[in-house]
Amino acid sequence: MEKHFTDSRVKGVSTGTTILAAVFDGGVVIGSDSRASIGGDYVSSKAINKLIQVHDRIFSCIAGSLADAQAVTKAAKFQLSFHSIQMENPPLVIAAASVLKELCYNNKDELQAGFITAGWDKKKGPQVYVVSLGGMLIRQPVMIAGSGSTYIYGYVDAKYKVNMTREECLQFATNALALAMGRDNVSGGVVNLVVITEAGVEHIVIPGDKLPRFSDE
Amino acid sequence: MSRGSNAGFDRHITIFSPEGRLYQVEYAFKAISQSGLTSVGIRGSDCTVVVTQKKVPDKLLDSSTVTNMFKLTPHIGCVMTGHNADSRSQVHRARVEAGEWKYKFGYDITADVLCRRLADISQVYTQNAEMRPLGCCMILVAIDPQLGPVLYKCDPAGYYCGFRATAVGAKQTEANSFLEKKLKKKPVLDLDKTVQLAISCLSTVLAIDFKAHELEIGIVTKDKPKFRTLTDAEIEAHLVAIAERE
Repeated sequence: MEKHFTDSRVKGVSTGTTILAAVFDGGVVIGSDSRASIGGDYVSSKAINKLIQVHDRIFSCIAGSLADAQAVTKAAKFQLSFHSIQMENPPLVIAAASVLKELCYNNKDELQAGFITAGWDKKKGPQVYVVSLGGMLIRQPVMIAGSGSTYIYGYVDAKYKVNMTREECLQFATNALALAMGRDNVSGGVVNLVVITEAGVEHIVIPGDKLPRFSDE
Repeated sequence: MSRGSNAGFDRHITIFSPEGRLYQVEYAFKAISQSGLTSVGIRGSDCTVVVTQKKVPDKLLDSSTVTNMFKLTPHIGCVMTGHNADSRSQVHRARVEAGEWKYKFGYDITADVLCRRLADISQVYTQNAEMRPLGCCMILVAIDPQLGPVLYKCDPAGYYCGFRATAVGAKQTEANSFLEKKLKKKPVLDLDKTVQLAISCLSTVLAIDFKAHELEIGIVTKDKPKFRTLTDAEIEAHLVAIAERE
């Protein structure tokens, strides 16, 4: 499709990226790298935040054009906060994912951004949804996306288990991101992780030198 | 004389009467008292409290679905007095304004700005012939990040102001006099004292011995700045404390 040939100068800063989200027993871990690049040549930022908090217990990680993703998440935050005030209840994760999906689908010609939405709500507990570029919305227990994700499909398929503990899931996410950042030139920087449970939200940052090392390094 | 052509209409739409009054606006104020409820708001030293009566006229009504307290943003709450449907319309508008502000400017709207915005919208209704003023009055409460606890009121005339304490509704004159007397010495009011003063104001002025389910109380405090309403159990605790003092 023409989209893949969009000139990076037109789209500006893009997040060649690795993002993932995984459900564990009692919560969900959402994580990303932190590199923003222009084309494949220049790292425009080494430590950007790709994990956007769209509501108290719902985060979205962004892939694709940074400008598009920020505009979409900003609009989604607004719609979600209004929805939540009207409902007098925290929003469901599927509501957040649907808002993003509507924005992506209705503006698919102009936008180039995909999202993984993860969070916790009272109705269905921890959930992960992916909204792809064109506006498809599906729910999965684990999801990876971004340019770096292609290098870790094997690892994720082999190592992800349902109902892991929090520590196992954190280790899984860290390893996956480290492996992707190791091979993808447009992913790198630090690993940003957020753990969302009923009790709250916890941010974990793992700098480059503290990442797990593998046999080839 | 040109006055002749306006005869009678100054009472029907919002144009000036020969004495310079806007009758429709005055009628809007009368509409607020129509609901028969009174609400009181008091600003304490580290909190702001609003109290209103909860009258459920029909035995078949599910009282848990009846409320006059609304959250406008997580940090700004309000109590509406007056016409029910108009109240909901104004609350909805307030929520939209707050949401759009956050979207446009990236930070939460403050209570005074929101109140001013609603007052400006109400003022437009006093000039437009095709729309009537809303028959409701909003008391907003919040903990302002700079000013601390705040209490604002905006009415159908498009007037708004910040208050140390205020009352709206059927018995507002009596309630306002009560509050003036009690706040004359500028007492330092903590959360419990503020809540109890508000409840006492209503029970004195209305001569009703309240039960917990007949009151709605909304609070914001400095340590918990999110707007919340008290549960029946918490209201009961305050009522007991008031009874013990007497």
